[in-house]
Amino acid sequence: MFKHYLKISFRNLAQQKVLTGINILGLSIGIACFSLFLLYAVNEFSYDRFHTKADRIYRIIEWWEGEGREPGGSGSISTPVAPAMKKDFPDVEYAVRTTDRGCLARVNDHVFHTSITFADADFFNIFSFPLIRGDVHTALKDPGHLVVTREKALTLFGTTDVVGKTIQIKIDTAYKPFTISAVAENIPANSSKSFQLLGNFEHLANTEMVKQSSNNWHMTIGIDAFVLLKQESRLATDHKRLALFRKKYAEEEIQDRKELKKGKGKKDQQQAVQSGIRLQPLRDIHMNPQVEGGADPKNIWILITIAAAVLLIACINFTTLAIGRSAGRAKEIGVRKVMGSERKQLIVQFLSESFLLSVLSAVTGLILACVLLPLFNQLAGRQLYFSFSRFPELMWLLGGLTLLVGLLAGSYPALVLSSFNPVEVLKRKIRVGGSNLFTRSLVTLQFVLSIGLIISTIVILQQIAFMRSKNIGFNKENVVMINTQRVDAKRIYPLYKQAIQSNTGIMDITAGEMGLGSGEGQMGRGYRNYKEEISGVIEYPGDYNFLNALGMQLVAGRYFDPAIASDTMSAVIVNEELVHTVLGTTTANALGKTINTAKGNNPPKTIIGISRNFNFEDLTHQVRPQLFSRPANLEPARIYVRLQAGDPAAKLALLSNAWKKLVPDAPFEYNFVDEKFDLFYKSEERWSTIAGWAGGISIFLACLGLFGLAALAAVNRTKEIGIRKVMGATVTQVAGLLSKDFIKLITIALVIASPPAWYFMNNWLQSYAWRINITWWVFGLAGLFSLLVAVTTISIQAIKAAMANPVNSLRTE
Amino acid sequence: MIKIRDLEKIYRTEEVETVALNKISIDVKEGEFVAIMGPSGCGKSTLLNILGLLDDPDTGSFLFNNIEVANFNERKRAELRKHNIGFVFQSFNLIDELTVFENVELPLIYTGVKSVDRKKRVEEVLDKMQIMHRRNHYPQQLSGGQQQRVAVARAVVNNPKLILADEPTGNLDSSNGNEVMTLLTDLNEQGTTIIMVTHSEHDARYSHRIIRMLDGQTVLENIMV
Ligand SMILES: Nc1ncnc2c1ncn2[C@@H]1O[C@H](COP(=O)(O)OP(=O)(O)OP(=O)(O)O)[C@@H](O)[C@H]1O
Ligand SMILES: [Mg+2]
Repeated sequence: MFKHYLKISFRNLAQQKVLTGINILGLSIGIACFSLFLLYAVNEFSYDRFHTKADRIYRIIEWWEGEGREPGGSGSISTPVAPAMKKDFPDVEYAVRTTDRGCLARVNDHVFHTSITFADADFFNIFSFPLIRGDVHTALKDPGHLVVTREKALTLFGTTDVVGKTIQIKIDTAYKPFTISAVAENIPANSSKSFQLLGNFEHLANTEMVKQSSNNWHMTIGIDAFVLLKQESRLATDHKRLALFRKKYAEEEIQDRKELKKGKGKKDQQQAVQSGIRLQPLRDIHMNPQVEGGADPKNIWILITIAAAVLLIACINFTTLAIGRSAGRAKEIGVRKVMGSERKQLIVQFLSESFLLSVLSAVTGLILACVLLPLFNQLAGRQLYFSFSRFPELMWLLGGLTLLVGLLAGSYPALVLSSFNPVEVLKRKIRVGGSNLFTRSLVTLQFVLSIGLIISTIVILQQIAFMRSKNIGFNKENVVMINTQRVDAKRIYPLYKQAIQSNTGIMDITAGEMGLGSGEGQMGRGYRNYKEEISGVIEYPGDYNFLNALGMQLVAGRYFDPAIASDTMSAVIVNEELVHTVLGTTTANALGKTINTAKGNNPPKTIIGISRNFNFEDLTHQVRPQLFSRPANLEPARIYVRLQAGDPAAKLALLSNAWKKLVPDAPFEYNFVDEKFDLFYKSEERWSTIAGWAGGISIFLACLGLFGLAALAAVNRTKEIGIRKVMGATVTQVAGLLSKDFIKLITIALVIASPPAWYFMNNWLQSYAWRINITWWVFGLAGLFSLLVAVTTISIQAIKAAMANPVNSLRTE
Repeated sequence: MIKIRDLEKIYRTEEVETVALNKISIDVKEGEFVAIMGPSGCGKSTLLNILGLLDDPDTGSFLFNNIEVANFNERKRAELRKHNIGFVFQSFNLIDELTVFENVELPLIYTGVKSVDRKKRVEEVLDKMQIMHRRNHYPQQLSGGQQQRVAVARAVVNNPKLILADEPTGNLDSSNGNEVMTLLTDLNEQGTTIIMVTHSEHDARYSHRIIRMLDGQTVLENIMV
């Protein structure tokens, strides 16, 4: 029996080449999209699971919760915490600190900038990063040891046979030799902990920063710490023990806080924030948005939903086309029933047809997905590949998906077709026109989804364009920002300035301790005005001309002046926001006022100028209070050079040459400030690309379905068209007759899609402090576009049918 | 074999009620060859569909081999039908997507006959109907007479006790028509009960008995000699 079904299914598919082609093309595109997103999701949820002890590894985090604050945590932990935990808790088998640093490295005579990770020696006792050379027990035994990854070994030496070789690395001021003790396999893409070069944490012990912080429980210097708990330990959920531990060491800090609170008003006391140490499961790190750096699983679900929508559209094609073709199959169904087929058997037959189709589509879909994978990886920023051994769950997920697609696409046609009354279909009584309310609703649904995606794409693109072009309050064009973090910048900066300033094309030069744009850090200290402590003031220590060189404007007062000695000691320029929120006064009154730092006994600062607010963060943020100073002891981390507008190539060459002459042992690293600002919108761009692709694919699939439906409508109405033509209808009238129905459906779809699309996109826009308003023409544009594509598709069929000779079409009866 | 009493079938549409069968009573014995005649619209096909368990009556009793089947559900009717009844239609009703062989094989598939047995049985029947040489052709490649021979082959392949034929010669010329009538007569002589609807007095003469219908009722019965 099954063989019979299979044979008939194949023959049916082979006979209806166009429909089968449409179905397989559509379904395989849908399945390809879905499996790519599925792979992405599986990869995201598989983060860090490859460690054999993953269920016992925890990251030590700082956790805050309290009224008026979303609970949240940070993986950055102060230096002494991890060793103290190992000492105090018998449940802790191992504890390691890790930290990533940028450094200069030298192999033979080749100098390059690289990142290096330092970790305590027990690193490999906790994590399962396999070594291809060397031994996990001794890899980090010595402070001079260095583990490199296979990839890094190959780029540096061209071989993985590098144990015993030396790399010179400059952490603070001088190069020190490191001996390669082991080579690690490349870090898997789904690892949240990764390294290229791995050194022993002890090596950092002598650096100024670590020395300062090694007994300080309040200071963080970018250290992550992990513990391996013993099998039966319940420390991770025992917040009481962790609190006691914290109290024991950080008693004085807690004391400090209490005193501070006494001085504050009632309002602040209510908002008291509790902080404490928690243990976060390793496998939770990648997907917990509550802890800094964790991705939001919501985004993955959005992606899966979009992919599911695309797949649904493809499934709908199958359903509507199968129903549309039912007229042609009515006789077959009738005869089969007369011959003794039960309804159940017919259902099985039709389902096996759709399963066959979904299996074929799954195969082509997977091939398509593999072909598209590199493109997708670029979009997703991941290195994914289909591997059933790495993701065994993919196997049954994809298998299940194929079954589901077959069921989803085939069940309605199976139910409808099998219910035909044999007496009536054999008498040709049943009007199986191929478009009942249900299939019309399905077609409408397809266009609702497609139009929704198109509207979203347009809105995201508009918002990106708006953010890009918004005047953010300073002149970010043509500014080159040179990284001077790894060089003796205090000495280099004046020399470099001298070397380049007289050249044509160089408009202005300045320097700051902070960079501008995406990926640049921010420095914020608490400031105190009279009694109140205000945190979140962003500081920009820079050269005298920092503000004017970058084109930031003053609304009152003056810029820093090298001629006024006190400017380097006690003068600050603040922005309007600081005047309003911190000082609570007007710009006119703020000039000449003083503010104090919250900690330390620094002299009070006098406000000499007030700058106009400018956006230094991405536009999801309002402008925050900001403070500029000109420290006597300026240590520039960035040199800013404003170039004349025009082709920057020659000027960049000039900057680079001057740099090499001055600092031969460090690479010339630069960015354009405007590009750094554009980077803020990378995620928006990704979303617009995803929504755009999904929208494009959906509309394509929906039109593919329309194409088939229009063809079927033409076939099913052959006789009607013939008679109409004999009665004198023109080609346009007949084509219009066939298109009218579909155009109505698309218009309805636009009406249905618009409110939810508006709602979702408006919601999305709320996260931007600066945003566009969604205008009505967005909907018009999306609708018009869909209509245009759809009408073109239908017309091809409608005109073909209308042009046919009526004599031929009447003879088919 | 068939005993119907006061059978009623009424078609209701929005405006009109059509009484297709009006308290009709008929008996057919095993081995009989009965022809049903009457003007168009008198309910012949409706009766045949009910006799063939394709449709159910509104009221009345229908004993098929002494089993009351008037209130059988669809599944039970299909079960009974596929083992006992063969059909021949005016418009052949072969499945265009299947070959001659596969069309004839179909009833055997639904009664669950094994593949080897099916092959043997189908070949036997095709041989008897003299269309073996066309076994791999599709229906569109055959003449009307050949198609109807295939349909008859399909109707008898299961060795049904009863064959229902609704104007089997309606679409055929007289020589092809006679051929089909001969086939049916042969089958009847081998013991198959046949009930045939026809408009042709000529064809009706092949039967043992003619039931004449008018407005959903029997009005006359002619016994042939
Ligand atoms: N599905 C239906 N819905 C409504 N009325 C029907 C239906 N099927 C048959 N009828 C009506 O029932 C009556 C009997 O129809 P039936 O098909 O049995 O006639 P018939 O004797 O076979 O005619 P013909 O010789 O033309 O084939 C007719 O009046 C017909 O219009
Ligand atoms: Mg009839």
